Amino acid sequence: MSLGAWIGVGIGAAIMAAPLLWTLLLSLKANAELMRDSGAAFSAPYTLENYRSILQGSSLVQWLLNSVIVSGGTTLGVLTLCSLAGYAFARLEFPFRRTLFAFVLLGLAIPEQAVILPQHQLFAQLGLHNSYPGLILPGLVGPFGVFFMTQYFKAIPKELDEAAMLDGASRFTLFWKVLLPLTLPAQATLGVFTFLASWNSYWWPLISATRSEMFTLTVGLASAQMNYAQTSGLGFLMAQAVFASLPILIVYIIFQKQIVRAMAGASVR
Amino acid sequence: MIRGALLAFAALSAAACAPEDRRTEIDVQRFFGECGAVYGRSTDISKAEGECGIVTTLFNGFRARNRDLKVDVNVVAWPGYAQLAAQIAAGDPPDLVTMHQGVMSDYASRGLLEPMEAILAQAGIRPEKFTAAARRGVTKNGRIYGLPWDTVGGLFHINTKLFEQAGLMRGGKPVLPSSAEELLAHARKFKQATGKPYLIQSQVNDPATHVRNFYTYMLAQDAVMFPDQDHIRLRTPEAKRVVELLRQLNEERLSSRNQDNPAAIASFINGEGGVFPTGTWMIGAFEQDAQTPGRPLYQGYAVLPYPRLWGRQAGFVDGHAWVMPKRERTPDQRAAIARLLRFMAQHNFDWTRTGHLPAFEAVVNSAAFKALPHRQDIAPLAQTGSPLPGYVRRQGPIEGIVGEELGAAVSGQKPVDRALADAERRVNELLSYMP
Repeated sequence: MSLGAWIGVGIGAAIMAAPLLWTLLLSLKANAELMRDSGAAFSAPYTLENYRSILQGSSLVQWLLNSVIVSGGTTLGVLTLCSLAGYAFARLEFPFRRTLFAFVLLGLAIPEQAVILPQHQLFAQLGLHNSYPGLILPGLVGPFGVFFMTQYFKAIPKELDEAAMLDGASRFTLFWKVLLPLTLPAQATLGVFTFLASWNSYWWPLISATRSEMFTLTVGLASAQMNYAQTSGLGFLMAQAVFASLPILIVYIIFQKQIVRAMAGASVR
Repeated sequence: MIRGALLAFAALSAAACAPEDRRTEIDVQRFFGECGAVYGRSTDISKAEGECGIVTTLFNGFRARNRDLKVDVNVVAWPGYAQLAAQIAAGDPPDLVTMHQGVMSDYASRGLLEPMEAILAQAGIRPEKFTAAARRGVTKNGRIYGLPWDTVGGLFHINTKLFEQAGLMRGGKPVLPSSAEELLAHARKFKQATGKPYLIQSQVNDPATHVRNFYTYMLAQDAVMFPDQDHIRLRTPEAKRVVELLRQLNEERLSSRNQDNPAAIASFINGEGGVFPTGTWMIGAFEQDAQTPGRPLYQGYAVLPYPRLWGRQAGFVDGHAWVMPKRERTPDQRAAIARLLRFMAQHNFDWTRTGHLPAFEAVVNSAAFKALPHRQDIAPLAQTGSPLPGYVRRQGPIEGIVGEELGAAVSGQKPVDRALADAERRVNELLSYMP
C-alpha cells in the first residue's frame, strides 16, 4: 500500500474512531465537571464513578440476562429458519417458488414502524407481551437472512447433491450433513449480524417489555436515566453507551474474521 | 449430584406451594430514573436527594407503612409515553402513572384517563387546596384528571456578581426590567460594564427555550393563542412584539448565540453572562456551584420569575401529575390508590427539594419550603404560572414547530412575520389531522 493510501486510511480511521474515543473519555469524567466544560474530557483526573453507578443498578444483571436470552434466541431462530428457507429456495422445486421468494424479499422494503401497531395488537391478543417469546418472535422475520442463505446455497455446486443422492442420502441428510456444514461461514456472518441487530434493538423491546424485569439492556439503561441526562448526567450517559456496547465489542473481537469476510463478500457480490 | 438435584426439586416444590399473596395489588409506572442501588431500601425521605432518590424513597416509605398492599413500581425510560400508549393499546395500562400536565390533554381528550375528582375525594384531597398553577395544569375541559405533583417553569437564573458590576443590584437584590425598553437598556448597560452578554440562552436544538420565552410573554399580554382546540393564532401584534424583542437582543449580541443547552449551562456556571432563562430544575445544580468556593458563581447566584415586560406578571408552566388510565379496578384497588395519592400529597414538600414548585398552597406557604434556598423568591410562580388551555392537544409537537420557527426568527434566518405565519400554518395543519 502506498504512503498516500496509508495516510488516507489513517485519516478515515481517525474520523471513525473520534466519536468512540470522545464517548469513552466523557464516560470517565465526573458529571459535575462535564457540566462546567465538556472539554474537560481531555484532561485528568478520570474516574470510574459512572461505571460504579451502572454496576450498582439493582436490575442490571437481569437486563443483561434478558438481552443475552433474547439476542441468543433470535440468532438461533434466524439461523434455523433462514437456513431451511434458503435451502428450499435454492434447491427445491415447488409451485410458486419464484413468486414466494419475491414475496419474501418484499419484506426488505417494509420498515418496522409500518407494522408496529398491528404487530403490537397481535402480540397483545396472544398475551405475549412481557415475555421472551414476545421479544424474540418478531426478530425471526428475516428476509435479508433468507436472501443471504439462498444465495449462499445457490453458490454450492449441485453435483454435491447428486453425489450424495446416489449414495442414498435423503433430502434431510443431504441438507444436514452435506450442505449445511458448507454454509458455516455464511451462518457465522448472518449470526453475527442478527445478534448485533437484536442486541441493539430498542423500539420493539421498549413497547413490548413494559415491566422492568423483562427489560433488555438497552431499555433498562434508558429507564435508569434521569430527565436531564444530557446536561447534568453526561458522564453517566456516556458510560451507559460504553457499557451497552461492550458485549458487542466482545462479539466483534471473537468473530471479526467472519465479519470482515462477510463485508468483503458483500462488496464483491 | 443426585442429592443436589433432589434438594433443588424440593426447594422448587416448596416455592410452588408458598402461600398465595392475597394483598391488594396496584401497578404504578413512573419516570425520573432508576436508583434502586442507592435508595432501594431507604425510607428516610429527609436523606434522599434528587428526583429519583426522593420518589424511590417515597415509595419505599409507603410500602413500609402499608404492608397490606402490594405496590409494583415500574420505572420507564423518560418520558415513558411510548410504553404507556402500548400498554393502553394492549388493554393493560398501569393503575397510576406519572404524566406531564401538558401531555394529559392528549390522553384525556381521547377518553383514556379517568377523571379523578371522586378518588381525590376518597383520598381526602381537596382540589381547592392545589396552587392556582397546579389546578390549571390538571384541569382539562372542566374535569380534574390528575393529582398535581409539582409546577415546573422558566425562571431568570442570575449571576449577581456580574449584576453588581453592571450596577443592577439594589439592596442586595437583582434589579429586573419592567418593560421591553428597560430590558434592552439593562442589557446594553450590562454589556458595557462587563463585556459579556446580559442573557445566556440555549437557542440551538432547544425549541423549549424559545417557546418558554414566547408563551410567557404571550400569556402576560393575555393574547389568545389558541382560539379553539383546532387552531393556533400567531399572526398578532402581541406575538410580533415578543419575537422582535428577542430578535433584537440577538442582533445587538446582548444574548449569547449558537449555544445548545449544555453549552449554555456551562457558560452560565462559568460566569459568562448575566441571566440564564431556564427551568426550575436547574436550581439545585446552580446552587451547588454557588456554594463552592472558587467557582464563578460562588455566593453570586439568585433566581427569580421572569420579569413583567408587558401586561401582567405571568409565566408559562407545566408540571408532573399522577394520573389514572381508564381500566377496570376493584373497590379495594381504588382504596389502595386513594391511600397512595394521599401519601404522595402529604409528602409534596419532600418533592419540592428537587427544585420544582409545590402543587399545594399549604406547602408554598410553609416555613419549611420558604427555608429552602431561593424558594421564597420563586414561589409567586405557583400563583402566576399558567399552562396552555386544557383543550390544547399535541402540545409537545406544537412546541417543536413553534420553537423551530421562533429559532429561525430570533437568529435572523427568517423575517419575523414569515416565521410566525409559517408556525401558524404548520401547527394548524398538525391540528387538522386530529380527530
